[in-house]
Amino acid sequence: MGYSVGDELERKLSCEITKEQIAEYSRVSNDPNPMHVDEELAQSAGHPTVFAQGMLSMALLTKYIQEIAGLGSIARVKCQFRHMTWPGEKIYCMGTVTEVKEEGGKTLVTADIRTETEEGMPRVLGDVAFYA
Amino acid sequence: MVDKKHIGKQGEPTKVRIKAASVSDFAQGVGEMDPVYHDIEAAKKAGYPNIIAPPTYPIAFMMESMNADMFFELNLDMISMVHGSQEFVYHGPIVADADYEIVGRVADCWEKQGKSGILDFVVMEADAKDMDGKIVYTSRITIIAKQVDRSDEKEE
Repeated sequence: MGYSVGDELERKLSCEITKEQIAEYSRVSNDPNPMHVDEELAQSAGHPTVFAQGMLSMALLTKYIQEIAGLGSIARVKCQFRHMTWPGEKIYCMGTVTEVKEEGGKTLVTADIRTETEEGMPRVLGDVAFYA
Repeated sequence: MVDKKHIGKQGEPTKVRIKAASVSDFAQGVGEMDPVYHDIEAAKKAGYPNIIAPPTYPIAFMMESMNADMFFELNLDMISMVHGSQEFVYHGPIVADADYEIVGRVADCWEKQGKSGILDFVVMEADAKDMDGKIVYTSRITIIAKQVDRSDEKEE
């Protein structure tokens, strides 16, 4: 399939974030930050509850891109963790193509990507380069 | 701010073994159920020597990538520290049950006025090489922390 600058990558529901999933991600990723698992600590720091790891959202975004472009298609990916993602939020992945070029006989597509809530609140923002 | 003298400092290479069980566990944790992450036969059928790791798996080696000694020398405020951004550049699949050598370095540091004071930004970069010396991926992590008083830091 051909890509052009400005193309939207289909907005897709990734999952609804749960506290169990956040705790499980802490375990499998060796994340030592107690803010993701300790409800009381999170509240004493002024948060309503525990929040998801930025890297969990990045994992959802790379899964989304590989579902579109295939296993091993990602050449580079970057995400910024400016907004917090909370339990109970339904997280959607989406993207917009910003560049298409030929590189070593292959098509390299660059896109802005992001997660957002069902209501369209931005969460994790980033960009990706993948071989189409 | 974090002394610019730290930029370019490189940690000791750290050898890590990426274990298949840990890869499969991580994949399950992020909802990656493709058999290439879990089943060696499926991975071989897809042309890999063993199961492969999902793209963001290297974060599980964050401490090795940052190199603890080098990291603590930066004297960042651990309490306020957050993961500002993360970048990975891939050169090949991350294959399980193989050894990798990770070399971390301080790539950049700067300060910026935040809403509640000055913030330190540090970019730590790490290359992971396979046993043939080929870079498999590069990780670039940006850490943000509230600036601490460093007036008592020793001059070198």
